[in-house]
Amino acid sequence: MRDIDNANLKARLHKFLPIILLFFSVLNEFDFNNLGLKYFSFNFSYILIFYYSLKRNESLSLVSIFIAGLFNDVVSGLPMGTSSLIYLLLCGAAAYLRNITLSPSLFKDWIFFLVTILCLNSLSFIILNFFFNFEIVYFDEIINVIFTVLFYLIFSYFFKFIERFLLGNYYAR
Amino acid sequence: MEKSRDDFVIAIRSAFLKKGAQQRFSLLGLIFFSIIFLVLGSFNFKVVDYVKIIIKETVYRSSFIISGPENLLKKNYSYLKSHLTLYSQNLKNITDLKNFRSKDLTNKILILENNRYKKLIDDFFIKDNEIYAKVLIDKQSPFLKSIILNKGSRNNIKLGMIVLDGIYLVGKVVEVNYLTSRVLLLPDINSKIPVSLQPGDEQAIMSGNGNENGVLQYMKNSDLKRNIDDLTILTSGAGGLFISGIPIGKISKKSSNNNQAIIDFYINFSQLKYVKVINFIKQKGILDLSSKEGLQEMDNQIEEEKQQIETVRILKEQKKISEEVRVRIQEENGILKHRAIKLENELRGLKENLKKVELKNEEIRLIEFKTLYEKKCKKTFYNKLYKVGTPEYKNCILNKGKIN
Repeated sequence: MRDIDNANLKARLHKFLPIILLFFSVLNEFDFNNLGLKYFSFNFSYILIFYYSLKRNESLSLVSIFIAGLFNDVVSGLPMGTSSLIYLLLCGAAAYLRNITLSPSLFKDWIFFLVTILCLNSLSFIILNFFFNFEIVYFDEIINVIFTVLFYLIFSYFFKFIERFLLGNYYAR
Repeated sequence: MEKSRDDFVIAIRSAFLKKGAQQRFSLLGLIFFSIIFLVLGSFNFKVVDYVKIIIKETVYRSSFIISGPENLLKKNYSYLKSHLTLYSQNLKNITDLKNFRSKDLTNKILILENNRYKKLIDDFFIKDNEIYAKVLIDKQSPFLKSIILNKGSRNNIKLGMIVLDGIYLVGKVVEVNYLTSRVLLLPDINSKIPVSLQPGDEQAIMSGNGNENGVLQYMKNSDLKRNIDDLTILTSGAGGLFISGIPIGKISKKSSNNNQAIIDFYINFSQLKYVKVINFIKQKGILDLSSKEGLQEMDNQIEEEKQQIETVRILKEQKKISEEVRVRIQEENGILKHRAIKLENELRGLKENLKKVELKNEEIRLIEFKTLYEKKCKKTFYNKLYKVGTPEYKNCILNKGKIN
């Protein structure tokens, strides 16, 4: 009985972990996007959303991603709707990759992620700069993209490890 | 080619239009929704603004709650850091404390001197309590020129406190309620303020005339006629309620016509919005100026403190000299120790040499005596003497034969 409860708890935790992580990352004062370091920043939300939309799309609902985007905009002072749009497009890209992939490979995911965030950051730049007159430092953006792509590998292993820890080898994909 | 394009369209359609089992909205729908949000956000629609405000309020509070653990960690980290740096901090504090202690005596003297000078210029009041208040009611009554403030006894307003507008005198508190208080303005006929006319330091009592001016009472009018343009009215400080030197106003030009000193106030009493309520108290430790004993006592105190400083200085000098002497003695001690060790080593070497010489001498004597007394000591078949090489044999040879 206790084992069942334990397994149930782990399954629940596994189910809600992405949402918890997503909201925690957008609402927390601590921001990986602005660590105060000159040559280091990465977008944890991009990694999280892309990974879970690709691997376990049922665990991150689109509405929660939309709301998380709104929250992120409020906390970071961006025009409301910008992050939601970018997050949802990221989800769409991940869904497209999932649909066209027959044999998943981390390397292909990684390359696709790079292309996607380059496109999405460009779009974000267009929205913020052209429509809302926000000043953006290109160099910081590039640093952010590079580290986000690099950290995707690390975090994909980390998420996999957590899945294995919570569900065991059999269920982890 | 045609087929691959179809695949692409199908994949895109599936990604953006198909609702998953757990999803309530399609991706495309939500993307449109966020675009609408963005577009509406750029226009200033009231409804959108309200929605934004609600979202922001929610998010700020949620963010505050979610950042709680992080803030707690930060707090604990700084707490831990302060613990780790406690030792170095303590050392720094000890050094600082020493410095401050040495400065303390000088400060005490300065304070005493300062008090004495304050005393001499009759300005021995200090600000005790300063409160800013809003003028709630400024209803001008023909009977009472007063205003009501939004601060009362809850905010430590007390009867008799001075009310200022900037640096200019407004009046004094005459009624204190729990949340409000009443201030009697200078133009009120019941307001009596001891003033001095500068330059010249002419003393007088100023009273309100019930309109917008004040009048001077109990003064000589002769001086007034001479210097009418230059005279300014300041509080004199007499009576102890006000400190001296708060500006009030100037003598009006009407005075010469009326043959009465009329005062134009610096401030417009109908325009008061915010005022400052201040309390002045007599500084502790100050003695009465009129008392010569008090001044004497103060001088004695200063002298005592100066002596203490001198004593401390001498002790410091002595300490410095003692320190130097100690260092010298230590150095000498070191040199002597070094010499003693050297001499000891030399002595040990000499002793060893002496031993060696003694041994050599013994051997020489042994060889000399051996030829002479060998027969008397060497063991043979027919005697019971000593075997060659044994210590007994050696002793026998040196003793020139067996000793019975």
